Amino acid sequence: MRAIPSFTDNGRGLRLLAAAIVVINGFFPAVWILLTSLKSEAELVSTPITWWPEAASLDNYVRAFTDQPLLRYLANSVIVAAGATVSSLIISGLASYAIARLNLRRRQLNLTCIVASSMFPLVTLLVPIFETLRSLGLLNTYIALVLPYTVLNLPVCTLVLVSFFQGIPRDLENAAMIDGCTRMGALWRVVLPLAAPGVFTAGILAFVNAWDEFLLALSLNSSPDMRTLPVGITLYQGEFTFPWPVISAALIVAIVPVALLIALFQERVVGGLTQGGLKG
Amino acid sequence: MRRAHFVGSLAALAATLATAPQRALAQARPIAPSTATAPSTPSKPSTPSRPVKLRVFAGGANQRPDLMRLLFAEYSRQHPHVSIEAESGGATSDLQRQYLSTVLNARDPAIDIYLIDIVNPAQYFGAGWLEPLNAYLGPPEQVMKDYLPAYQRSNVIGGQIAALPAFADAMLMYYRRDLLEKHGVPLPRTWGELATAARRVLDAERDPALQGLSIQGAPIEGAVCTFLLPYWSQGFEVSDAAGRLTLNREAAARGLQQWLSLVDAGVVKRNVAEVKTPDTVNEFKAGKVVFGIGWGFAWDRFASDPDSRVRGKVGVMPVPAMAGGRSVTCLGGWQWAVSAFSRHKAEAAQLVKFLSSRPSSRLLATRGALLPHTLDIYTDPEVLAAVPWFRDAAAVIEGGRSRPASADYGQVSDAIRTTTSAVLARTKTPEQGVATIASRLARVMR
Amino acid sequence: MSVNATAPPPRWSDRLDRWRDPDERTLALLLLAPAFLLLALIVVYPIGKLIFNSFFDMRLSGGRVPRFVGFENYLLVFADVDFWNATKNTVLITLITVPGALVVGLGLALLANMPFRRQWPVRLALLLPWALPLSFAGLIFAWFFHTDYGVANDVLRRLGLADAGEPKMWLLQPGWAMAAICLTIIWKTSSFMALILLAGLQMIPRSLYEAAEVDGASRWQQFWQITVPMLMPSIVVALIFRTISALQTFDIPYTMTRGGPGNATETLAMLIHKTTIDYLDVGYGSTLAVCMFVLSLVITAVYLKRVGNAA
Repeated sequence: MRAIPSFTDNGRGLRLLAAAIVVINGFFPAVWILLTSLKSEAELVSTPITWWPEAASLDNYVRAFTDQPLLRYLANSVIVAAGATVSSLIISGLASYAIARLNLRRRQLNLTCIVASSMFPLVTLLVPIFETLRSLGLLNTYIALVLPYTVLNLPVCTLVLVSFFQGIPRDLENAAMIDGCTRMGALWRVVLPLAAPGVFTAGILAFVNAWDEFLLALSLNSSPDMRTLPVGITLYQGEFTFPWPVISAALIVAIVPVALLIALFQERVVGGLTQGGLKG
Repeated sequence: MRRAHFVGSLAALAATLATAPQRALAQARPIAPSTATAPSTPSKPSTPSRPVKLRVFAGGANQRPDLMRLLFAEYSRQHPHVSIEAESGGATSDLQRQYLSTVLNARDPAIDIYLIDIVNPAQYFGAGWLEPLNAYLGPPEQVMKDYLPAYQRSNVIGGQIAALPAFADAMLMYYRRDLLEKHGVPLPRTWGELATAARRVLDAERDPALQGLSIQGAPIEGAVCTFLLPYWSQGFEVSDAAGRLTLNREAAARGLQQWLSLVDAGVVKRNVAEVKTPDTVNEFKAGKVVFGIGWGFAWDRFASDPDSRVRGKVGVMPVPAMAGGRSVTCLGGWQWAVSAFSRHKAEAAQLVKFLSSRPSSRLLATRGALLPHTLDIYTDPEVLAAVPWFRDAAAVIEGGRSRPASADYGQVSDAIRTTTSAVLARTKTPEQGVATIASRLARVMR
Repeated sequence: MSVNATAPPPRWSDRLDRWRDPDERTLALLLLAPAFLLLALIVVYPIGKLIFNSFFDMRLSGGRVPRFVGFENYLLVFADVDFWNATKNTVLITLITVPGALVVGLGLALLANMPFRRQWPVRLALLLPWALPLSFAGLIFAWFFHTDYGVANDVLRRLGLADAGEPKMWLLQPGWAMAAICLTIIWKTSSFMALILLAGLQMIPRSLYEAAEVDGASRWQQFWQITVPMLMPSIVVALIFRTISALQTFDIPYTMTRGGPGNATETLAMLIHKTTIDYLDVGYGSTLAVCMFVLSLVITAVYLKRVGNAA
């Protein structure tokens, strides 16, 4: 199923080249990290540099798991990111629908307010957020991160969903409502399925933003059993040491689940559900 | 829960796999039997009190949390009502600063004791984040008298004790003893002599990957030391006792030019402005450096890392001086401090006193080769048996100076390190660099 | 309240109906409530405090007491060489990486949309840059561009394009360091763009292309007259966020060069970070943050009008 005709119908070679470019671009750093995770530190400073490890070993993976509770960090990251995604989608979804569809005065203003909240550098908002969550007794819990991440994702998800909702003709909902649906019913039954690529896009955006986030995770969830991956991985360093091989091993452990997730859902995002958009 | 079970089994499996390589370090070094017994503290009968839990924020791997845990265990043994929880968050000074500036800004009482870098007490105390220890431990003249003089200066601010030393550190000049002996090169005492010595070895070895001298030129904290070493060697100070700026521009420019001429001579590599501390250590460890400036922790890595190619071939010598100057080095070291927002200040102060005591220092020295904060420990026979090279280190430490103490150290450090790195990257001449440093420091140190 | 003779008194069932199927105004308020409540809880107080602090000389080091100074901080900002340098660097990065990521992202999205027998490697490759935590992407690329141990110089050497004795010191020269940083940012963010554009591509009805082919339009014409206009809403959304993020660029330059050499690659967010965390100058840091906000607002106002009006 294609949304646009291929430029190179007869140029299969060109298409393979295109695919190769995309694949190298995306995979190269990940493959490099994988190879590094099999090397030793002394090997990394040899000149000329080696691509393939001289003596591949899994020592770094063993160290990655024993120097730190890496699996715990992974679990924490997954829980927080999943929670933030669900929360972002629900709250942004409702807000986006209101902005896109309903007769709202000052729609522009609402949207600007939501987007404007992302225009302040997080580092300057850190201390008050910390104080707020501390006074609510939420430090070192999953909620401590899910709440701010939802807020951080609000602008992106809202705008994405607004633009997708706007792309769906109102007639469809009106038709559904004439048939007896309430507005919310129409949203659930008609609009969401059609905007599914947008929903999955917003979902992945929210997930990866939460997965990547460092500053808040460092400050709010500092206790060892609640740490997330980005923070945990920095702990392999010492003041004067940066063990690339071990950190690479930890990064591979961090990347693999997300890669699997993407591999599973890319079908959905790229169009499993909509068959190339709306007819007519 | 299933997840916890899986984690548990994997961890158990991994633990059995990991015990061998990870702590081979401990087995490689002879541990004098007497240190295995409890370090004796001046015993105060521990009065039964309410159970107290103290949370200690200790750094990352380089601060040896494993050894600190031994000390904590010992303290809990002596004071059963105190339990200690260690948190090693913030693996580097930067990350620590990031975390602490949030937590302390929010006046969080969660953590009682911090392990901070030597440059931080002045800054944190000035910000009101550290509790002065005079009330709990006594006046500075009495409490600090045995420690190295530099710590007496950096940890006592306005007559108040802000922190006590955990262990010392200094920039040492490591060298390849085997290479110098092989080519009959004497130990250099000035930078000029070092250049000649390095060139002789380089020309004889004819290895394109071999570096004569490795120093840190990246805009990291170590670059402050790179700036200060030749400057101090000429006998000048950056600031006086009152904290006013006393920068001698010609001397500073000469120091920077000194590094550039070593680069031009092919002794130091061209991209020195990219070199960070781990790079120097890793390259030296891989056998590619003749002379290397590094902190004390590096010795352990050279001697014990499984992939070290310089085991048994490393020596320590005093940092060379500028022509006509003295040999000085830059002091580091980590300090224990009590949070101003702690809810158990008295108990925390006592723990800090224990952690900075002589027996604790001896344990850290023998088990972890962490440099002691008290000079006579360097010549203690037990310690020397475990770490013989401390004999050479003692002379170096005595000549150690600490970086300019300032409540605004953040700005001082930034000015010096970024400009030094820019000069080494040749985007500024030494004169321009010194002018920049002078004007930026003038804004901070009046 | 006068009794209206013609209207029947409200019945229970009417009131229930209003809850089950509220009129648009009420519904809109209900739907927006969670979002704005959350905003109020998490960011309104911090932003308020931020703006408040910007009017104070609030330097935590040295135990100084916060002192009200009105707009003095803002005047200091205008005279601050570091501020203008950082703003220049930030705007430069924005001007390069936003169109750059758009072009690369569009290309990647189009490529990923092509019919391959096995789609998943291409799509996974598209989104993999994302799985790498941002804080490490910078470190990894800094290593790629390392003079001695970097892949970039190794590849150049193997291709015979560089002299083995004089490897390029990428990150030590202001121009090349900036280029390396921009390249890394484009690499990391083009998948963000590609994702949004890809979803947008899916929404374009095939019938439009079929009709255009029947009319004899070339593929190039189809691209410019169908694809681009239909993608415009997605493009605008992607641009807004890429721009806001670009103005706040921190992680990648921080981990790659620390703002070096000198402060040739220091961005506004790095300056704010340094001022707040290293210098403990909260007042001035807040002022800089407000300036960054104003800059972001001005630049994106144009975009936002577009999205708001499209409804």
